[in-house]
Amino acid sequence: MQGKRRSRGNAAILAPMYLFTVIFLIGPFVYMIVLSFLTRAETWGIVNTFTLRNYQKLLEPVYLHSFGESIRLAVYVTALVVLIGYPFGYFMAKLPPKARGGLLLVVMVPFYTSSLMRLYGWIIIFRANGLFDRLLMVLHLTDAPLKLLYTYPAVVVGMVYALLPFMMLSVYSSVEKMDWQLVEAARDMGAPPAKAFLTITLPLSLPGLMTGVTLTFVPSMGLFFVADILGGNKIVLIGNVIQEQLMKVHDWPFAAALSVILMLMMSLTVWLYRRVTGVSEMEGFV
Amino acid sequence: MKKSLALLLALALCVSLLAGCGSAKTAEQPSVTQPAAEGNEAEPATEEQKAPAAAGTLNLYTWADMFDPEVLAGFEEETGIRINYVNFDYDETMLAKLEAAKGGDYDLVIADDYIIETVIAEGLAQKLDREKISNFSNINPIYQGQFYDPTDEYTVPYGSGVQTIVYDPALVDKEITGYADLWDESFADSIAITANYRVMIGMALKVLGYSYNTNNLDELQEAAELMYKLAPNIRLIKDDFVQDDLISGEVNTAVMYTSQVTIAKITKPSLAVVYPKEGIGFGIMGMFIPSQAPNADAAHAFIDYILRPEVSARSYEYLGYYCTNQAADALISDEYKEFLVLPAEFRAEDMEMIENISAEAAEKQADIWAQFKTLCGQ
Repeated sequence: MQGKRRSRGNAAILAPMYLFTVIFLIGPFVYMIVLSFLTRAETWGIVNTFTLRNYQKLLEPVYLHSFGESIRLAVYVTALVVLIGYPFGYFMAKLPPKARGGLLLVVMVPFYTSSLMRLYGWIIIFRANGLFDRLLMVLHLTDAPLKLLYTYPAVVVGMVYALLPFMMLSVYSSVEKMDWQLVEAARDMGAPPAKAFLTITLPLSLPGLMTGVTLTFVPSMGLFFVADILGGNKIVLIGNVIQEQLMKVHDWPFAAALSVILMLMMSLTVWLYRRVTGVSEMEGFV
Repeated sequence: MKKSLALLLALALCVSLLAGCGSAKTAEQPSVTQPAAEGNEAEPATEEQKAPAAAGTLNLYTWADMFDPEVLAGFEEETGIRINYVNFDYDETMLAKLEAAKGGDYDLVIADDYIIETVIAEGLAQKLDREKISNFSNINPIYQGQFYDPTDEYTVPYGSGVQTIVYDPALVDKEITGYADLWDESFADSIAITANYRVMIGMALKVLGYSYNTNNLDELQEAAELMYKLAPNIRLIKDDFVQDDLISGEVNTAVMYTSQVTIAKITKPSLAVVYPKEGIGFGIMGMFIPSQAPNADAAHAFIDYILRPEVSARSYEYLGYYCTNQAADALISDEYKEFLVLPAEFRAEDMEMIENISAEAAEKQADIWAQFKTLCGQ
């Protein structure tokens, strides 16, 4: 009885939230799904005729390839982010509180400038006769400028750089609240450090790690502007295809179909995350 | 406490990342004269901005940085009409906004030829009143009677661009005379091209002797095979600031637009500019008045003002596109003449405009382009 009254009160308070969600999230999403089944008009706009063409077109090798390319890049980027971000977050959490706060600030400060600006910074480093080139030449490792910019590795570096803090922060927040007595207990019982880490620390920080993986993997399939700027537009990710279909080809229904599939892929990743960790909320975000 | 701090920081991070997404496409500049129009593509939303004809406001809707601020100020001073400069980033954005406003809100729009064809077909433009444009005869006839407005009833051209090849003779051994030279093996991984697939696939079509605007799928397939062979030579595909990569030596050859050629040549005069022997494709930017323009009189006055030879000369020097005003050609300073006035030996039959093509052909081109880019990345 009492519970019921409370939920009705909640509903009234939450009504604006629901309204917001319907108008700005569910509405556009439904519109996009509907659009993906419509036909494009000759040069501009859409015709209200049902078709499956847009989904059939997805199966053409060149578009399948761009899905494959997006996943491949996301896997590389995520793997590197785990390798660099996990130890960083772990050790950051073990620092004394004062140093910890300072380090947290150092990680965050660059992110108050536009990510675009920071990507242009990488151009200065990578370009012909740029900082990196000159460093290599001063060290006599190379004697002519390398072609570093507009390559696949340049894109991977840019992506890792853009997404690394997500991993650092979520691992940090997971490790930071861990009960270290458990590790001490394991060590007291004779477990070597490596074993204590694998059986105690790693499982306990898994939610943070998985959050980091999700927060890296999902956006890296969509961050097309990194591939544009550092890859010279030659690595065709699904985000690039959507943008081009929308703005240049004017094939909105096909762009919608691509977006629907991309969203399904991202949802699948989040579902996997929940299955693996058994938690329904993102670590560090609630 | 710590946790909420982490949350806050993570959120800030998300925002900065998203901000990057938004601004990735164009680095938009603020409006030229009007602080009121900041918000990049701000709609004329406030009371003042929507002011009717009587208030004497001209709502000018075009890309950022199309006019020398002094040219705009001169018009305001002379006529007392206030210019409300509103920007768009893509032609497509403009068309969508104009559709939403049913041809109202804006008094004068400057956009690309192909989109104007759609605008006119949708009835969103009004016929010009030539009585009010005394300088109409100054327009260079080469740029008139084109596909988007065959009888010149709706538009006045404002600048024209061609795609030319520019290379650095210090880094290239071969002399380039046409598009076909770009396929040479010596250019491996060293060419920059624009990101407009109609222009680039058009280049292959031209090498094969076909039209930019072919709807013949077999011809397009031939062009596709040719394009795929070009992939190993492509180092970079982008629309904005290609000239920087040529100047810095990141690439030794680039296919680019007139405005970029102007900047490149002025920065580095040793660069060589080639009008491809296969012929050139070009685009025209046109001024038109939307069908329900609140202040069509002001728009006519502005067109007439811009068509004055001295105003035109100044505008094109600022803009860096080919001068479409015949009467202004002689007034353009020597420093700029080479880039802004068509060469004397130019023959109208060598040029072809890029027009709208059938949906089937457009799709085919988009598929070719996606495949081509994929090959470039391998």
